Amino acid sequence: MTIERRGGNSVGAIIKACRLMTRMNQATPGARQSDVLYYKMLEGYYRRLLQAHDDGKLIAAHTDFFPVELVYAMDIVPMHTEVTTWMMTLFTGENEDILSASAELGLASEICTPHRGLAGAFVTGAIPRPDIMLWSNLVCDNTAKSGELIMDVTGSDGFFLDHPFKQSDEEVKYLVEGLGDMVSFLEQRSGNRMDWDRMSEIVERMDRQIELIREINELRKAVPTPFSPLGFMQLLTVDYLCPGQPEAIEYLEALRDELVAAVKDGRGTVSRERFRLMSFFLPPMHMLGFLDRIAEEFGAVSVNEPFFTFWGEGRLDPSKPLESVAQKSYMIPEMRMFGPLDERAIDSIVDCAGQYRIDGAIFWANVGCRHTCATIKLFKDVLEDIDVPMLTVDCDVVDPTVASEEEVRDKLEQFFELLEDR
Amino acid sequence: MNALDRFREVNRSFPKTSQILEHKSQGKKVFGWLCTYVPEEIIHAAGALPIRIIGYSHEAELDEGNAHLYINNCSFSRSCLQLGLEGEYDFLDGVVGGSTCDGARRLFDVWRRYIGTPFHHVLTVPRKFDDKAQRLYCDEVLKFKRHLEEYLGVDITDDALHQSTLLLNESRALLRRLYELRKRDNPPITGAETMEVLNAAYRMPKEIFNRWIQGLIDELEASEKTHSGRARLMIVGSVLTNPEFVKSIEEQGALVVTDELCTSTRYWGDEVQLDDDKPVLEAISKRYLNNFPCARMYPSDERFNRIVDFTREYKVDGVISETVRYCVPYAHDLPLLSKRLRDEGIPTLALDVEYGTSGSGQIATRVQAFLEMLEASGK
Amino acid sequence: MHLLGIDVGSLTTKAVVLGDGGVLSYSITESGDESEQSATAAMGQALRSAGLGIGDDTYAVTTGAGGKAVSFSRQHKSVNTCLARGIFHLFPEVRTVIDMGAESSGVLKLNARGRLTDWESQDKCASGTGIFLQQMSKLMRMSLEEMSELSFEAKARAEVSNTCAVFAESEVISHVHRKPPTPTADLVAGIYASMVSRVMVMCKLIGIEREVAVVGGVALNKGLINIVEQELGFKVMVPEVPQIVAALGAGIIARENVEKESEG
Repeated sequence: MTIERRGGNSVGAIIKACRLMTRMNQATPGARQSDVLYYKMLEGYYRRLLQAHDDGKLIAAHTDFFPVELVYAMDIVPMHTEVTTWMMTLFTGENEDILSASAELGLASEICTPHRGLAGAFVTGAIPRPDIMLWSNLVCDNTAKSGELIMDVTGSDGFFLDHPFKQSDEEVKYLVEGLGDMVSFLEQRSGNRMDWDRMSEIVERMDRQIELIREINELRKAVPTPFSPLGFMQLLTVDYLCPGQPEAIEYLEALRDELVAAVKDGRGTVSRERFRLMSFFLPPMHMLGFLDRIAEEFGAVSVNEPFFTFWGEGRLDPSKPLESVAQKSYMIPEMRMFGPLDERAIDSIVDCAGQYRIDGAIFWANVGCRHTCATIKLFKDVLEDIDVPMLTVDCDVVDPTVASEEEVRDKLEQFFELLEDR
Repeated sequence: MNALDRFREVNRSFPKTSQILEHKSQGKKVFGWLCTYVPEEIIHAAGALPIRIIGYSHEAELDEGNAHLYINNCSFSRSCLQLGLEGEYDFLDGVVGGSTCDGARRLFDVWRRYIGTPFHHVLTVPRKFDDKAQRLYCDEVLKFKRHLEEYLGVDITDDALHQSTLLLNESRALLRRLYELRKRDNPPITGAETMEVLNAAYRMPKEIFNRWIQGLIDELEASEKTHSGRARLMIVGSVLTNPEFVKSIEEQGALVVTDELCTSTRYWGDEVQLDDDKPVLEAISKRYLNNFPCARMYPSDERFNRIVDFTREYKVDGVISETVRYCVPYAHDLPLLSKRLRDEGIPTLALDVEYGTSGSGQIATRVQAFLEMLEASGK
Repeated sequence: MHLLGIDVGSLTTKAVVLGDGGVLSYSITESGDESEQSATAAMGQALRSAGLGIGDDTYAVTTGAGGKAVSFSRQHKSVNTCLARGIFHLFPEVRTVIDMGAESSGVLKLNARGRLTDWESQDKCASGTGIFLQQMSKLMRMSLEEMSELSFEAKARAEVSNTCAVFAESEVISHVHRKPPTPTADLVAGIYASMVSRVMVMCKLIGIEREVAVVGGVALNKGLINIVEQELGFKVMVPEVPQIVAALGAGIIARENVEKESEG
């Protein structure tokens, strides 16, 4: 495969945008400290990436939910492929180039845009060429199959982590062994040894991180809800990019403190909270600002995302790092979508609807995401049984041509009208 | 051809074939399985009839399937679900699947909720071939066996497993013999006809199937019938069960001499290596995990190598890749597979299809063009 | 004061003047570029046919794509909310409404109080809509009435794609050129079937509850309604003027508002 360097460096664009956001926040009175820390964290992440090779460090590109705690512990610089593709669309508004490049590679258009995007992005040079490619089958076929083509296109070598479907003892053992194999691979490739002390620290922080997210989710139960309407996107990014890192803890603690204060004062995130919503899957990245504005206009806030921000039970043990990483992989909210969609997963929807006093639900039906869309009717029926209406919005997380702001606005308006009339 | 007609009869009446209804009338059980990673031997050794869950053999209206799985899941999973929701599979006593791909996974999740098949089991299938993966998969097969024993209130003995393995190995050997006939310069059986035989293979008791296919092979070996074509083609891809599709390719003047599909060679691919030293369950699970790989497995070279071997054994001039729309694992494999085949000097025609398509119109035109290109390059 | 409901669609504008019993008068006019003009014209025509003065005091509730831009609108409500109200007024037993409009199609559910409870719509694709039917009518060189009548003579339904209007069109062409050609009646039935199938998916997603009504301009085609009934397995209710149901609903909301205001 030939690599034609066309596009400019989008990482630079992301960094610039983050600095701008940080400056804006710092200049605005009453701006949230957590927002400042969020953009600082993001900026730091991408700066590390940009400087990695100059600093003599390796870059490991990886797919969603890959246990990057281990990568951090070995002083290798991680690059989250899907998030970076999203960020690129968000901050540069461009994705035509990279999607065309992926089509030229021969990737079918039914493959979801984040995954087509990242193959194309490597080809055009929009994102840095990694030294290592790490991927796993969390959470779908796309992540499972991304690695080999990317290795071919970038000339890097890589490791595939095979995550088992269920959580039996044998399966957990298989996973822990696989993680061990991955560490060996990274040691061999990087010439570094795994720093187990550092790893334990990371696990400890990871445990703290999950506890903080749980606290934040509890605080969101308040009426009116204190957390910004699309704040859950921030919570996601923090875990995807910087799990167990000091910046993540700093951000979450600041956020938690802000929410505690807001709940104490009875301050809601929108001026008049009218509808409390449950969200499934992801709204389009390029519409986040627009959706924030709609939330304020209609007083509609997403207070709960059962499969995105709701962590499973359990604490992590720093003295058992690999086991903890394995355990965490089963606790992540999305795992309830990946594993068997059993009664526990279904019950959690009903539970959340009650605990969060949900008025309605929105399912962001991403046209390229098979396994989430297959749950639309299932979740709709479950919610209908408890008299909660669900709106389905056909969209795409990265491609702006699928749904326009006008269409989405119309649908949301109609939905809020329906909720009001009840 | 008499032998072929019998297979056609079974296919026509599927899912509720006379063999299945006969089996049920004797008070016996039928278990539906979805992927090639479900060990049929276990079901058979339990005294039940294993049959494959398949969708419509033509492009059908999939309102229910679409509503429950949404339009962006592969038409294969939607077609299976459609049949299930219409009650066509209500004779099943159980369904068994593997955690093989998203389409299959979700089909099972939705099936479980909306169709009341009493027994439901999903095996975790690793994506790797190494020792650790072998151990895990073997454990999964054991768990499946135990679950089935518990449900049916039977004991699946090693002896029974041994017998079932011998029977299924015989089917595999016979299918291999059938395919050997297609290696000839002028095979006695077309690709479309072969597909009809395969379709029947997983819809009826193997005891009967083995007799019938033996009869067919005898007939073919004795017959003078031959087929010729402008080029020798191989179809690769995901799921394909409509013989009309193969027929429409062959009608352009090509010979489909072999294939690599979930419903063909990947089904019967390898035999179980029975070994007195090894427990039979281990032998069975080893066979299934190492069998001709589905695109979900890693590394993909394992699949590619086998495909290339086939092109040499069957003297293939060109490859037609049929990928069902929204079939993600096969779509991802395509760029690297095409590249590999190109390096071997074999051109690929990539077709994006809906499951059940008959291949007329557009597809026929593209196949024509492909054949002309093959001829021009002096195949 | 006259109570009005005005549905400003992208192709046509419908206005209903509400009387004591329901629809006093109505109008269906072609939408122009300006919603304001379209609404004013439609309103004027409807008032005139009722023998009412256009200068009189009016309370108008608008709906439809262009409704928001109408300056004299007292309130704007979404189409589905209005459809629910409108159909409930006409057939209070209806719980599911299939809307087959000019450019989009959808299915909605309402409860025993005439309140909208759920809906699914699709506007990405022409299949299942009036525009598609117009194209087919041109292709077949028959009027919509001729097609509808002929469809009852169908012995079978030709297979026509239901996933995409573009595919459907080329399939129809190949049916016509086939040797021997597909019987025209069967072809029309097939076209209707493909349109209905599009809508059926939405029905299944949302769940069908009887009674079922079909609204929108496309509902005027009796042959298509016949296919709908075959698919559902029971008879459906079609209003006499299926295009004005949303406007009627908007008018009813106008009355509700006025009554609420006068109650204090």
